[in-house]
Amino acid sequence: MSLAGVCQEKAGVKVALTGNEAIARGALEAGVAYAASYPGSPTAEVLGTLSRVAKQFNLYAEWSVNEKVAMEGVAAASFAGLRSLVVMKADGLNVALDFAGALAISGCRGGMVMVLGDDPNAHSSVREEDSRNLCKAKHLPVLEPSSVREAMEMTREAFALSEELELPVVVRCVTRVCHASGDVELGELVRPERKPDFTRENRVITFGIKLHAGQESKLARAAHLVCDSAFNSYTGPENPERLVIASGPCYMYAQEALEMLGAGGTTGILKLGTTWPLPEALLLEHMERVPEVIFAEEVEPFVEDNVMALAAGCLPGKVRFYGKRSGHVAGPAGPGIGELDPDVLAASLGNILGINYSPGTIDNKQEALSLLEDKMPDRELAFCAGCPHRASFWAVRAALELDGRGGIVLGDIGCYTLGMARTGYYLLQTVHCMGAGIGLAGGMGNLSRFGFDKPVVTLVGDSTFYHAAIPALINARYHNSNFMCIILDNETTAMTGHQPHPGRQHTAMGEPAHTVPMEDIIRGVGMPYIVQDPYDVEASIEVIYDLLRQEGPRVLILRRSCVLAAVRGKQKDRVYVNEDKCIGDSCGCGRFCSRVFACPANVWDAEKGRARIDEAVCNGCGVCASLCPQGAIMVERGV
Amino acid sequence: MERGCEFGMPGQEQLQKEVMDRDLCSSCGICVGLCPYIKTVRDRVKVIYPCGHEDGTCYMVCPKTPTNIGNMDRAVFGREREDQALGLFSGIYYARALTGKPGGAQYGGAASALTGLALREGLISSAVLTGGDIKSPRPVLARDADTVARCAGSKYTGVPSLLELNRAIRDGLTDIGVVGRPCQVVAVRKSQQGNLPGPQYPSSSGIGLVLGLFCFWSLAPELYGFLQLETGGEEIVKMDIPVEGPVAYTRAGKYSWQLEDIRTFIKKSCNTCFDSTSEYADISVGSTEHDPVWNTLIIRTGKGLDIFNLALQKGVIEIREYPPERLPLLRRAALGKKMRVLSLLEKDLGNTGYITLPEKYRRDLETQWGGINQ
Repeated sequence: MSLAGVCQEKAGVKVALTGNEAIARGALEAGVAYAASYPGSPTAEVLGTLSRVAKQFNLYAEWSVNEKVAMEGVAAASFAGLRSLVVMKADGLNVALDFAGALAISGCRGGMVMVLGDDPNAHSSVREEDSRNLCKAKHLPVLEPSSVREAMEMTREAFALSEELELPVVVRCVTRVCHASGDVELGELVRPERKPDFTRENRVITFGIKLHAGQESKLARAAHLVCDSAFNSYTGPENPERLVIASGPCYMYAQEALEMLGAGGTTGILKLGTTWPLPEALLLEHMERVPEVIFAEEVEPFVEDNVMALAAGCLPGKVRFYGKRSGHVAGPAGPGIGELDPDVLAASLGNILGINYSPGTIDNKQEALSLLEDKMPDRELAFCAGCPHRASFWAVRAALELDGRGGIVLGDIGCYTLGMARTGYYLLQTVHCMGAGIGLAGGMGNLSRFGFDKPVVTLVGDSTFYHAAIPALINARYHNSNFMCIILDNETTAMTGHQPHPGRQHTAMGEPAHTVPMEDIIRGVGMPYIVQDPYDVEASIEVIYDLLRQEGPRVLILRRSCVLAAVRGKQKDRVYVNEDKCIGDSCGCGRFCSRVFACPANVWDAEKGRARIDEAVCNGCGVCASLCPQGAIMVERGV
Repeated sequence: MERGCEFGMPGQEQLQKEVMDRDLCSSCGICVGLCPYIKTVRDRVKVIYPCGHEDGTCYMVCPKTPTNIGNMDRAVFGREREDQALGLFSGIYYARALTGKPGGAQYGGAASALTGLALREGLISSAVLTGGDIKSPRPVLARDADTVARCAGSKYTGVPSLLELNRAIRDGLTDIGVVGRPCQVVAVRKSQQGNLPGPQYPSSSGIGLVLGLFCFWSLAPELYGFLQLETGGEEIVKMDIPVEGPVAYTRAGKYSWQLEDIRTFIKKSCNTCFDSTSEYADISVGSTEHDPVWNTLIIRTGKGLDIFNLALQKGVIEIREYPPERLPLLRRAALGKKMRVLSLLEKDLGNTGYITLPEKYRRDLETQWGGINQ
């Protein structure tokens, strides 16, 4: 991971970069002038990297309020002839999709690249999505890097392809590529020199079906162009008995799996770097020579379905296909669900090839896991030590119980999504997409006319509030929906690494921002609101309880900086247990701090039979001290 | 055997089922602060998270869990009562403060005067009181006479002020004074008898003096909405609920209603309360229902008598004979409430009522009620 590597002026040098840095470098080598994104894993670091080098490279980088706005800004730069880059996770494409579809119709001018981060297995997402089907639906060409090196090269080349086609080009990059590190050979850096050019003469219109015909012809030309792309390549014997068609990191997995099976001599691999539109001629040329084709891709059978459709037309009945549709290529969760890896692929290929793939490696895995077990801390999905959300969730739970009418809690997307689990006392009852909690709350809040009498609470983070909550809030005010919106304001986009949002004082490039306080928005919408510090749990309970008893749409801002940002570079308050005051298991609390409140810093000292603070983990918030019934937890304020 | 034993020693779950879920909690506050799982806001006291224990102090000290009146009499007074109406006492007077009666005090200001005296004389270290104003009463732990004075005046909604007692004990205070409603007095006595394990619980050394108030019921906070509407949002400086019906005073004047107007705000738990004169207090303090500048004072325990005598000796209060013709009225009111509660418990709640009445008490009660009701 090296910013220096990203900025390295000397071409031809090999440096180690992460996939996300490689994408940033690729964009710099293409002379990108305008980049925008809304943070999301796995691609959050692309814009993070570009924003840090923006001044040096004379480019503009912004964390936009949401993906649609990001894409629109980036498209504008492209309309004016600049090379531009928009970055988002798969979920972001859903937000931007309306514009993406329109943009694919109007086309673009300066090279425009959309980096889409797909997260197979949903490592850091609420769900896994395969954005390729949406790209196909919107007539957007897709490139898929299989390695860090390719992530850089494809990004760079995608700009040229975009200009050639006058169409935005998607680089679909999965977590395993974004987060991997690898050597890349750098190309020339290009400083953006083009001047924006958009006059009264320019028209970028998306009206009429004639343009649809234009889209189809652009894609046909793309299909022709990609047949000669260096990103598609064949490795294997001259006359293979079968062909594996692999895309993304599955290309690497396929190589490894064939090697493990000793089947490299009979089986070839066609690496497909351009997955939409398909390089049809190239595929047909390879498929004509084999009776069997196996697909290796993540997540959905996208290449598989489209290649089978191609073969049905051109090679009817000649090839036997193995993949997710046939059920042969499948991970533990089933075909088309979750990631593949060399093990999974070796087992799948072994099954198809009739080679007994030794489960010996599985035993080794178990052994390795058991050896590591003692050394790995037992961690569940939980809020960080000192996270203000823990205090907020406890206060909301207490207030709802005190209210006693069975109030319901609707969730949203952010760190606080974890509130559906033990760490948030299982409070959240819905989790969908950015901003959905407010819209759902508005709907629930309209049900009183049918006799629905439970209080409705929705929890939303600050960044999500700016991103997607505001239209739903306006709708709720307009229709006087009956619910309480609690904004868990930790003053940053915490989950993805503390990116700024419109409530902050600085932009992505570190320039002073014209802050848009959420209070101004709420006031503008015409809703009453209260601001409260969640660390003061008792006071928060009272405020939430009182608000629960009010009518109409209303807002509570529980404001406290993300503790990880707050303690950075500061001496933390020291929290410790007074062992004379803690009475251990003779207290009625039943190890409340470590068992129920369950901050990772609250641990049980079995030897002493007392609570203990893990001072290495503790961030010094002191909330547990305010909840201990014995007052046994002490806080020593840092200087 | 008291009910509850059949479950083993019951705890939070049983408390929730028998008391809270049935709206029988009177918001005394004795269970708040013993653990992190029972919380309060305004007049609400609720379990917010299951503690996981099968047994619990919360159940034991709750005034609304099974309570044997005979056992309570023996534990507090060492003997059983003859008077089913007012319980055990050594004297009953009209009383009023001579010095130190705060501006806001109710009637004769005797409760404030006695509490102030006990604090000044070091008989108690602090006093658990209900402070705040009429519309937002809150628990207070007073450590000086000024704070006591600021808490003067009756509040008519249930305030879980005993949470301050738990906090004070946790903070190491002893000889704590309590001024509370009858349910709160019962709670304090139950916890004193509990032989509870650990220094965190009330014990005999923890409690210095218990002043009990007369209370026929408390009201739900929805009352404030009613008052707000009725008074056009004017600040209410004082309130009273004499027999003629509720009265509220604002700076501009007096508002009065019929009792029926506010009956819907009476807390459900108060309808099943057996004790309207704080029968287990050291001294009970109430109105006279007759003369607004005097209080009724019932001296019950030896400790109560001591401070009563001290107050007379120091000229803090003056007393008058309790008018003999008014005693039957007071006894009738107290007995009438008990009869209503008994019939309600038997009718509506079957045998799940929390009051266990010894057979003799029951017979005496019927007799005394029969006598006085004619």
